[in-house]
Amino acid sequence: MTDQDLLTIFTRILRDLLGDDSIVLSLSTRRIDVEGWDSIMYVNFIVAIELELRIKFRVADVEAFDTVGDVVAKAHSLLG
Amino acid sequence: MLFNSYEFIFVYLPVMLAGFFLLGLRSRSLALGWIITASLAFYAWWRPINVLIIAPSILVNFVLARWLLRLAGDKDRAGLARLVLSLGIAFNVAFLGYFKYVNFLVTAANDLVGTNFVLMQIVLPLGISFITFQKIAFLIDVHGGRIPALSLRDYCLFVLFFPQLIAGPIVHYREMMPQFQQAPCRWDKENIAVGVCLFVFGLFKKVVLADGISEHVSPIYEMAASGSEITLFPAWIAAIGFTLQIYFDFSGYSDMALGLARFFGVRLPANFDSPLKATNIIDFWLRWHMTLTRFLTAYLYNPLVLWLTRRRMAKGLPGLASRTPRVGSFFQLLAGPTLLTMFVSGLWHGAGYLFILWGLLHGVYLSVNHAWRLFGPRNWSNKETYDRFMRPAGFVLTFLSVAVAMVLFRSANSDAAKELLQGLIGLNGISLPQQIHAHLGPLRGLLQSFVSASTEMPAQEFVLAIAWLGVLLLGALLLPNTLQLTARYEPALGVRSRPAGPLSLLRALDWTPTVPWAVAMSALVVAVVMRLGGKSEFLYWQF
Repeated sequence: MTDQDLLTIFTRILRDLLGDDSIVLSLSTRRIDVEGWDSIMYVNFIVAIELELRIKFRVADVEAFDTVGDVVAKAHSLLG
Repeated sequence: MLFNSYEFIFVYLPVMLAGFFLLGLRSRSLALGWIITASLAFYAWWRPINVLIIAPSILVNFVLARWLLRLAGDKDRAGLARLVLSLGIAFNVAFLGYFKYVNFLVTAANDLVGTNFVLMQIVLPLGISFITFQKIAFLIDVHGGRIPALSLRDYCLFVLFFPQLIAGPIVHYREMMPQFQQAPCRWDKENIAVGVCLFVFGLFKKVVLADGISEHVSPIYEMAASGSEITLFPAWIAAIGFTLQIYFDFSGYSDMALGLARFFGVRLPANFDSPLKATNIIDFWLRWHMTLTRFLTAYLYNPLVLWLTRRRMAKGLPGLASRTPRVGSFFQLLAGPTLLTMFVSGLWHGAGYLFILWGLLHGVYLSVNHAWRLFGPRNWSNKETYDRFMRPAGFVLTFLSVAVAMVLFRSANSDAAKELLQGLIGLNGISLPQQIHAHLGPLRGLLQSFVSASTEMPAQEFVLAIAWLGVLLLGALLLPNTLQLTARYEPALGVRSRPAGPLSLLRALDWTPTVPWAVAMSALVVAVVMRLGGKSEFLYWQF
């Protein structure tokens, strides 16, 4: 799976969560860049990714993610 | 010693800085060792026994952290690492619990079950709540593999660094240690100038503004504690006045902490970002005591919500989505964890029922705010019209909600709080000082059925209190904050200049080392010196 594949999945998940079809995620997107992406929606976003990709992030990783690119990189490493 | 005391400003700080820069000429190691020694002296100033209490806790945490480091990366011993982490968290919670909450639990048991346990004589070590949270975060970070190496000197430096030792900001090891490792330990004129600027701003906010309005607010709380009825106007002066007092007090302290750390070339994280300008309560908590919010979100709220969400979704139940929100998921994944987190926040602030109530009330505020976002009306024509109406309404509602909750935070006991809350909604009647009531002119006839004359507050005091409220409120709402004024010098970690644009007019006020600013800062210093030495205590030092 490429970075772009993961970004497409992540964008769809976040659009569903926030109810905003104008969202387009890139590797450098931060939570602060997306209106309404608060901590509760962030956790939902992470769990939705886990279910979709059948992976599980560590709590420490979830706290450490700074950009969407960090989530993509960790997802890659977990997918192997 | 207090940051606004003569002994700190004129003795401790000059000696501390002279020692640091002189030793820095010889070696960085000596200079950093000096910070630890002098920080211990700072901590021991009130009660030398404080050091004896806190030292074993530091050593235990250090030993556990080293153990966790040895276990890191060893997948076969992940269970043992979790056990060591749990042990460390339990130790820190028990340590805080013994010193801060034993007597509260004894009182609660006596109240609820009718027991007659005797209260213990316990010396509360200064800043124990801040220090404990910092140490818990540290252990979790070590366990999470975010701290690769550790020495006793670095750990002591992290825990004891005096600018943030007593009342925060609550810092992370990973954001502090790289700075200490790179600090030049030499005199740097920009660091000194920015440090002095931040320190003077903070000192002015504390000594002139917070202590100034305190003189008009505290007597009302004392009257309420003595059982006097508080009518509408004094009750609102008390609620809004204390909100302003604690804002200028704690944000002033935080500015001073930022300035002091900057003398050593270290930037602390921001703790306040004009919280009283917030237009909703979620926004308020992102701007008020930011490092506490960051701690509670990262180490309590998020892990709890993550665990609950995983459990819920594993059962095939929906999570919480804006497009299709469900009441069940809202209560389980949002309101419940929010109330629990704010309960912990209230308890952390103080061992008392009123602090817990204050925390829970904010938990309710936050839940209502989230519920509005998820379930509220969506039929506005566009975001602009929504913002035009809701932002001012949200600002007023947020400010009043915060002010009302502050009555619980400040009141000496539940009777005083009840008296003031009754006053806020007019249950104790509406009155004006006699001299003002007598000069109402034609309004007097109109108002006489529900506004009485009283001797509760002298007219001069009433007018002075309102004037203080007005000036401080305008300052807090209209002026840029300290971090914005000094943004071009990165006054706090990650705080940088705002982009030019609608705020460009305010940018004319940006602090720079120029003659006009030197004159302005001198005026602030004169105002501070004229009030130094008076009765004063930082509100947050008691936590």
